Parts: sequence; C-alpha cells; structure tokens
Amino acid sequence: MIEAAQQTRPDAVPAAAPALAQVRSSRVAEVWRFRQLIALLVVRELKVRYKRSVLGLLWTMLNPLLLMVVYAVVFTTIMAAAQPNFSVFLLAGLLPWLYFSTSLMQGLMSVLANQELVRKIRLPQAVFPLSVVGSNLVNFTLSLVPLLAIMAALRQPFTPALLFLPAAALVLTLFCAGVTLLFATATVFFRDVRHLTEVLLQVLLYLSPVLYDLKQLGEHRTWWFQLFRLELRVNPLSYLIPLVRDPVYYGRLPSLPTVAVALAWAAGALLLGFAVFTRLEPRHIHHL
Amino acid sequence: MRDGQIILQDVGVGYRIYREKVSTLKEAVANRFRHLRTAEKFWALRHVSLQIAPGEAIALVGHNGSGKSTLLKTIAGVLEPSEGAAVAQGRISPMIELGAGFDAELSGRDNVYLNGALLGFSRKQMEAKFQRIVDFSELGDFIDLPVKNYSSGMYARLGFAIAQDVEPDILIIDEVLAVGDERFQEKCKRRIQDFRAAGVTFVFVSHSLPTARELCPRAAVLHHGRLAFDGPTDAAWERYRELERGPAPGPVFQA
Repeated sequence: MIEAAQQTRPDAVPAAAPALAQVRSSRVAEVWRFRQLIALLVVRELKVRYKRSVLGLLWTMLNPLLLMVVYAVVFTTIMAAAQPNFSVFLLAGLLPWLYFSTSLMQGLMSVLANQELVRKIRLPQAVFPLSVVGSNLVNFTLSLVPLLAIMAALRQPFTPALLFLPAAALVLTLFCAGVTLLFATATVFFRDVRHLTEVLLQVLLYLSPVLYDLKQLGEHRTWWFQLFRLELRVNPLSYLIPLVRDPVYYGRLPSLPTVAVALAWAAGALLLGFAVFTRLEPRHIHHL
Repeated sequence: MRDGQIILQDVGVGYRIYREKVSTLKEAVANRFRHLRTAEKFWALRHVSLQIAPGEAIALVGHNGSGKSTLLKTIAGVLEPSEGAAVAQGRISPMIELGAGFDAELSGRDNVYLNGALLGFSRKQMEAKFQRIVDFSELGDFIDLPVKNYSSGMYARLGFAIAQDVEPDILIIDEVLAVGDERFQEKCKRRIQDFRAAGVTFVFVSHSLPTARELCPRAAVLHHGRLAFDGPTDAAWERYRELERGPAPGPVFQA
C-alpha cells in the first residue's frame, strides 16, 4: 500500500479507499463520541444567552408565563373560551409547541452560525443542531415549573399521569432533533429555507391542535372542513401535543394509538433527518 | 495503517465556481437550476500524492493561493477530496488557526473545556490537563476572564497551550508561530521538538526558511494546486524561489 501511494498512477487510488471507508464508518458512533461536546454547547448556549441578565435562567420560566398571561387574557376575557382552567389548557399546548418551533428556528441556522468551526475542525456537524435542541429541552423542562405552579394555584388536580411527562419530553425531543437536522442542512444550501420556515410555522400553529383541542371541533359538511380534518389526522403535532396536554390538563395518560403514532413520527423524523444531514454534511463547507 | 500516518493519493479538491450566483430557491427555480450545469470547477489542489510516515515532520511551502491551506484542511478531514483519497490515521490536533474553537463570550477556563470537547476529549480528561495548559499559556488568573478581553498574544498562547496538550498523533500548524513574543515562540518550538522526539507527525505551513529548516528536514512545494517538489527542505526552498521568479500561470479552470 505504501509503495502504491508513492506513485501517482490513477489505479493506485482504490488502495486507500477501504481505509477511508473505515474512518468514515459509523456516523452515529461519531456523534456519540462527541456527546460531551453537545452537553458543553448546550451549557454555552444557555450561558451566553443569559449572560449579564439579572434574572438569568429565570427568564426561561418567565417567558412562557408572560406569553400565557397574554393568551389567557385574550381567550378568556376577550373571546370567552368555554374551557375551565383555560390557562392550564393553553400552557399545556403552548409549551411543547414552543419547544418544537424554537428548536427549529434556532437549529436551522446552527451550522451557518458555527461555520468558523466547521471550516477549521473536523467534527460531526450534527452536534450543532442537536445542541440547539438540547438547550431548548432544558428550557422546556424548566418551563414546566411555572406550569406546575399555575396548576397548583388554579387547583388543577395533580394525577399520577404527570409521571408520563419525561417520556413525552423524550418523544418530542426525538422529533425536534429529526426535523431540525433536516432543516439545518437545507438552510446551508438555500438560505431562504429560514424565511419559508418562519412563515410555515405561523400557519402550522393554527393548523395544529395547540390553541384548541381536536375534541372541540364540531362537524361541518363543507369540503374545506373535511380537508382540515384530514390535515389534522396527518399532522404529527396532533399526536405530539396530547403527550403533554393529556397528563397535564385531562389528568390521564395519552391513548396508546396516540403514543404509537407520535413515536413513529419521532423515529421516522430522526432517521430521515440524520440520514439526510450526514449524507450532505461533507458538501456543507462549499456552501458556507 | 499506523497512528500518525498520512497517505494522500492523487488528491484533488475542486470548488465549483458558479458563473451565476444563486443562493435563493427562487433564483434556482427561475433558472431551472441552470447554475448547477454551468458551474465551472476550480481545482485548488490536483494530483497531489504524499506519503508522510509517523513521526515525520514536513513543511508545506508555496505562494498565496497555492493550495497549502486546502491541503491542510484535507489532511485534517475538514474537506473531503473530490478526487483521490486522503487518510490521516490517529488523533489530529488541527491548529489550522489557534483558538479556532474559542467563544469570545466565555472565559478562558470554559474555552479550554470547549476546545477539548471539540477535539473529542471528555471533561474528566480535560480536568487532568487543565493546570498544565494554564501553566503553559502563562495566563495565570486571566484564565477566568472572557477571552474577548484577551490580547492577541494571550489568545494565541492559550490556543497553543491547548493544542500542545491533546496528545496528538498528527500536529497540523498553519503559520501560527508568527504570533506571540519571541520568548513564547521559542517555547513553542521546543515543545514541537519534544513532539518530534516522541514520534508525533508534524505538518507545518511556513513562509520562513529558518523556522522550516529548524523544525522539518523535509518540505513539499505547492504551486497552483500541484505538488512541484517533495524532498529536503533546502532544495525545496530553492525550487520555491525558482518558481516564484518564473511567470505565474493563471488559475486552472475546467468546465
């Protein structure tokens, strides 16, 4: 092999190819080897975000709280929602939604944002979108604290179903990771993916059962309503949001089919996102 | 392959030069992706074959734009060759730029751990190295200051201090010895000598003959992306001078 490489004959090229394949072998193992980097990047993100702010991490908890107050005022006093404890209902839907949408919006820029590193150090680039999802998982987890506080204040019953929340967070995380990876690589090639996603997310908020519940939908015979129904059946968020809302608001476990579909969406998104990302990863550097 | 070994076989790295600059979907669709078809390839590096044995030290010499940095990035695994194959076995300390992984907002301490993790080290492993790194960098209490407040010399010192303590099999250095004061430069050179004695492979980009001769017995000359010479450093330098005097051909474009 060494003799072969010293010559510049083109047929000497395949000699190094098996070794190369070995080096590039398992992308998953490579990301796993860098798990501590992901953890550090999460810490960095949180540290930098709340640097020199007096309240620091408290903002993570205040943000959803303030948002919830706005929504609750709008829906309970201005629009008179029928649900009891509407704030809890709202927050239980908004928190997973915010986890998803914020991860996606921040994560799709993450490879571009870290291009200085991508240009200089060889590392699995998936660590960047994944660490964004990780820092949003921290935010999501912390924002459960004000949620529980509001539940207590409004005398919403605490049931054992709340113990399902870690599993819900896990499924949500897998889904967020997959979608974010997919959009992060797309954004490297086409910068307008970012703006497109921004618009899509605004529409998706209303096309998903975040501010309303599937059960509240009446029956209309119009074709557009049937179409809407169909969309809700396909929409992964129709299965992911209840993972949080059912235990928190209804005090029960999500139904088995809901969990199964949510898990299938999460696994599918992650597999697709990771496969596409790692496939296109070597070409990123030419488009930064 | 052994750790520290580098094999480049007929390596070519081509960049697409888009005659029509397209970076939005709208433009791409409007042109029916014509830009992809009309793209020309610029070869930053082509037909480069090099064998570097474990523990060997090689200097890369060449004019600006000759492909030195591209070659370093290919060895470091940052760039994948578009032709041929490149393998570098073992842990690479890719100091293409000192402090490449620094986050200006974080303290020097946090950056040591961040840089360690970027190179695949765990927190525990970095904890064991931490004091040595601080000592080498001579930063003292400044280690807890955000690196954005560092002078460029302090920045480079910390960068080198980390790079020299990650037990590399391959050390890649891109003209970073020009930074820092003379005393610190000497310290860096001594450290590199230690590495060489310990059998670490060393790839070094240099514009300075004395430094290159001091550190590397072998040098490769790159000229417009081609390997023009590979041999003893003094002879390489002569060849480099010769090429510099000659008329420089334009960049090689190929449709």
